Amino acid sequence: MNRATLLLTNPLVLATLSILALLAVGETLSPGFARGDQIIRLLTVSAILGMVAAGQSLVVIGGREGIDLSVGAMISLGAVLAGNVMAGSDGGIVPAILVAGGATFVVGLVNGLGVTFLRIPPLVMTLGMTGVVQGGLIVLSRGIPSGNAAPSLMSFVNRPLLLGVPGILWLWALVGIAMWFLLRRTQLGYAIYAMGSNERAAELTGLPVRLIRTLLYGLSGLMAGITGVVVIGYTGNSFVSVGDQYVLPSVIAVVIGGISLAGGSGNYFGVMLGAIALTLLQSVLITLQMEFWGRQLIFGGVLLLLMLLYGRTKQLRV
Amino acid sequence: MTLLRNRLWLVTLTALIALFVVNWILQPNLVTPNVLKSNLTVFLPIVLVAIGQTYVVLGGDIDLSVGSVVALVNVVTVSVIAALGGGPGGVMLGMGAGLLTGALCGMVNGLLISGLRFQPIVTTFATGIIFGGLALLVLPTAGLPVPAEYWRTYGGYALGLPVVLWIFIGALIAIAIISRRAFFKHLSAAGGQRTAAFQTGLKVGQIRIMAYVLCGLFAAVAALCLTGETASGDPLMGRMLALSSISAVVLGGTALSGGSGSAFGSVLGALVLGMIGNVIFFAGLPFDYQTLIQGLITLLALAGGVLVSRR
Amino acid sequence: MSPVLEARNITKRFGAVTALSDGSLTVEPGEIHALLGANGCGKSTLSKVIAGTVAPNSGVLRFNGSDIAPRSPRDAEALGIALFYQELSLVPQLSVADNIFLGHERRTAAGFIDAKQLRHDTEALLQRFAGVAGDGFSADAPVSTLAPDQRQIVEILKVLARKPRLIIFDESTAALDRRQVEVFFDILRSLKADGVSSIFISHRMDEIFAICDRITVMRNGVTVTTLTTAETDRDTVVHAMVGELAVPQRFARNSAVAAEPRLVVSQLSSRRLDSVSFDARPGEILGLGGLQGQGQSAVLRSLFGAEPLTDGSVVLDGKTLTLRKPADAIRAGLAYVSGDRGRDAAFHGRSIFENIAAASLVKERRRLVWPNQLKQRFIDAAAALNTKYDGLDAPIGSLSGGNQQKIFISRWLATNSQVLLFDDPTKGIDLAAKADFFTLARGLADQGASIIFYASEDSELLSLCDRILVFNSGAIAAELTGDTLTAFHLTNAAYGKAA
Repeated sequence: MNRATLLLTNPLVLATLSILALLAVGETLSPGFARGDQIIRLLTVSAILGMVAAGQSLVVIGGREGIDLSVGAMISLGAVLAGNVMAGSDGGIVPAILVAGGATFVVGLVNGLGVTFLRIPPLVMTLGMTGVVQGGLIVLSRGIPSGNAAPSLMSFVNRPLLLGVPGILWLWALVGIAMWFLLRRTQLGYAIYAMGSNERAAELTGLPVRLIRTLLYGLSGLMAGITGVVVIGYTGNSFVSVGDQYVLPSVIAVVIGGISLAGGSGNYFGVMLGAIALTLLQSVLITLQMEFWGRQLIFGGVLLLLMLLYGRTKQLRV
Repeated sequence: MTLLRNRLWLVTLTALIALFVVNWILQPNLVTPNVLKSNLTVFLPIVLVAIGQTYVVLGGDIDLSVGSVVALVNVVTVSVIAALGGGPGGVMLGMGAGLLTGALCGMVNGLLISGLRFQPIVTTFATGIIFGGLALLVLPTAGLPVPAEYWRTYGGYALGLPVVLWIFIGALIAIAIISRRAFFKHLSAAGGQRTAAFQTGLKVGQIRIMAYVLCGLFAAVAALCLTGETASGDPLMGRMLALSSISAVVLGGTALSGGSGSAFGSVLGALVLGMIGNVIFFAGLPFDYQTLIQGLITLLALAGGVLVSRR
Repeated sequence: MSPVLEARNITKRFGAVTALSDGSLTVEPGEIHALLGANGCGKSTLSKVIAGTVAPNSGVLRFNGSDIAPRSPRDAEALGIALFYQELSLVPQLSVADNIFLGHERRTAAGFIDAKQLRHDTEALLQRFAGVAGDGFSADAPVSTLAPDQRQIVEILKVLARKPRLIIFDESTAALDRRQVEVFFDILRSLKADGVSSIFISHRMDEIFAICDRITVMRNGVTVTTLTTAETDRDTVVHAMVGELAVPQRFARNSAVAAEPRLVVSQLSSRRLDSVSFDARPGEILGLGGLQGQGQSAVLRSLFGAEPLTDGSVVLDGKTLTLRKPADAIRAGLAYVSGDRGRDAAFHGRSIFENIAAASLVKERRRLVWPNQLKQRFIDAAAALNTKYDGLDAPIGSLSGGNQQKIFISRWLATNSQVLLFDDPTKGIDLAAKADFFTLARGLADQGASIIFYASEDSELLSLCDRILVFNSGAIAAELTGDTLTAFHLTNAAYGKAA
């Protein structure tokens, strides 16, 4: 492989190029697409996706076919719980975050226990958990949209906070730094990469692999729950399926960001770019007035294409 | 545990009988021809999808796209029938187009996974999205009723027995035939110990593709049945079928790691899932709780099934 | 008469490792031909090339006078070549009958499996081992329920059921008892009478001399010589396998081995170990020898907490250790280096820094990682082994096999562990890297470390160790010290007991 193709298959380069290309396409199709306030709006949507994708990244990097398809239901759970606890008052924001995050963390840990100790394939476990959480949400909210965002939360998400940039983007930046610190400056981060790369070798260097894997699913749940709080701040209210639309994009953003579905590689910076690229793609498709089915075809196609690049199994004959 | 390992379907059968009895107590008119028939009508699609899923799982793979395949086959069938004017010939051609669609979807999955060596889980997740998108392309909103003969025949009787029962019997015969073919052994070998199967000289790639095609075909038959039930097209049909078919397969004693199990067990598993729904419904639980209980039982069944079948 | 099989100059590389550099073999019709050599000399790779399972990089294969290039086991089988796989090619979930006839099922006119015929044919085959196969051995038994010897019998019958013209038996007697071997030999003789050729790979010298017409010896991926059994003797064969009798370089033994043992291992028992007791002193390099898979690795892995023990105690510096998981062993000062780098050690796709760091982080319980605090220590550790690399940030895959292994040893040097468990650490690495490893091991011992060293190559044990424990069937069969530390004694101890 020569240097040019090597550069082009680098996920960071690929994601950045896609972002620039999509911005150019968007601006050509509809002048003003790449205007400052539009960009801020796009980044806000990206931030919501990026925050779920943070938890998803950890689970995927941890390996053994790690994936969390329950994040959609967890976002809904977080949003509904937060909406009920806040009930439109600013004083409820902190309790809302604690309740939403706590509940989704615990449900995530249950996912982790199922994956680690019962050895249920992650995809099956988290898909099964989705059904349970959705069932629980129906009970919780009696099928009616409930709860309202506190005014401060809404302005945090939607209004400029500092230097003309909304609080949500500052929060996303903070998540980015925290993810970098976790992955690059803690034993946990080193362990996540190690076990994702080679679980057996990780065990033979003394890392508590099963404990960590359980924790990763808990963290993914936690991030989804916090995202749920942000989502209710973005939309103002919540309903039981508010999170469903994030499941697939969270997986694709992770893969675009250069995290191999086989585990053990990639970083969150790439995923942030991936989230932006994906949001831009959605936005361009909407500008093109592409219908839902067309967007589905493109998303599925992108995922298959990425599988070709990053996710193939080994040959039988050597 | 050791005793049960290869006989998980016996546990499932016992559970099925117990559920049946409970259901009977809760719903005294259960054992009347009409109620039994309507129950079978409800269970038939998941039974069929679970049978197809069994072959893929037996080969060491998984198919998460079956739900979307069902939707796509449904909309293709109703669209072709509508386009051909709804005559008997059109209905036959529509059903043929549906079966072909199912087989093609399975072929695509098989080629990607066995030919190009993609990971089965994420690949069928992705193709499921694509098949679902195609279904919306073919028929953007629910509608397009099928001719009355279609659903009347499906809901009617032939030779004194309900048509749904004939289909069920037909499916059991198909399972029996497949399980006595060399293909079934080769598939179990490919899923149980893929290297050994290759070293033995089996065409492992072809065998796995064949399993996906079978899965697509069974999903297509399930879609034709659902079409008979709903009498029209719905591009969002069958969304939960992927997970419930996997649950049924696990409940039926087939190991998710591949290599051992039977489609007959999956039929029992699917019936158990259906009966659980019945019992929850007739137990008089508030409607709100039914999804939750169903989800919990499915998850517990998955966990239990995986735990027992693990060696 | 022209030979059935001719293999000439076959080569095969796996990544950076050369498994076969010049494999050659000629087999006559109706001949039983032994293929012999130390562990890892390339016998199995050559067999798999002939059987189409492994694609060679170069070389010529001729079968019945014409060039062949089997692209899969299916191709080879169509030609009439069958391989008894050392690791067995059975599907545990299927029954004995299904396994034996897998891919060759007799079918009825309607295309169904002819279950009656299948059963009949299977029972006819099982009949050959009737009386010696043990309990629970029937046509319907799932292979997963069978004992190791019974599985080997199934694999033998599976090969026979394919009615080949050339059969390679790779360690087909390893788990069989004497009576079972006799039955197997009768089968070999009747095959021979029918003109079928067999290639027989075994570690049991007696068997080879009992049944084989000729013997081809391999060493380090190269075919060394072919001898006629009737015209040679055991010593000649052993010498051909071992190479020059004199060990090329003998590292000076540490005269100052402390008298007091540091590590006292008593009565270790597990699924693979049978009451193993020994001790290791500071400054000592203790070798574990014997045929492959006799419990050497199991001892090391058990000491490291990676395999469960059913009984026994481990005392280090007077303290009894609880070894439930590797972290327990690491914090007690033990280190484990596996020869199977790819499976047991490498964090593929990660940097050299990360590959070294993992063990230190665990041992020192560092919750936070500041790379700059650790870098110098890692560089020093890698330098102790003359490791060649482009810096700690380079990916591990950029190094050759030998340098990778040096990094995995550095991983433990950086933790400053005092008891080093080496599990065939030089497997598949080049000679220069081996020499660096030997120098390091001797140096560490001289500084007071205790080293327990298993090597599948006897010459390595002989040149490095102060003492060698020879293993057989999970137990210590002999202890070699002083004058008995020779290739001859070691080979004899290993083979003699196994025969």
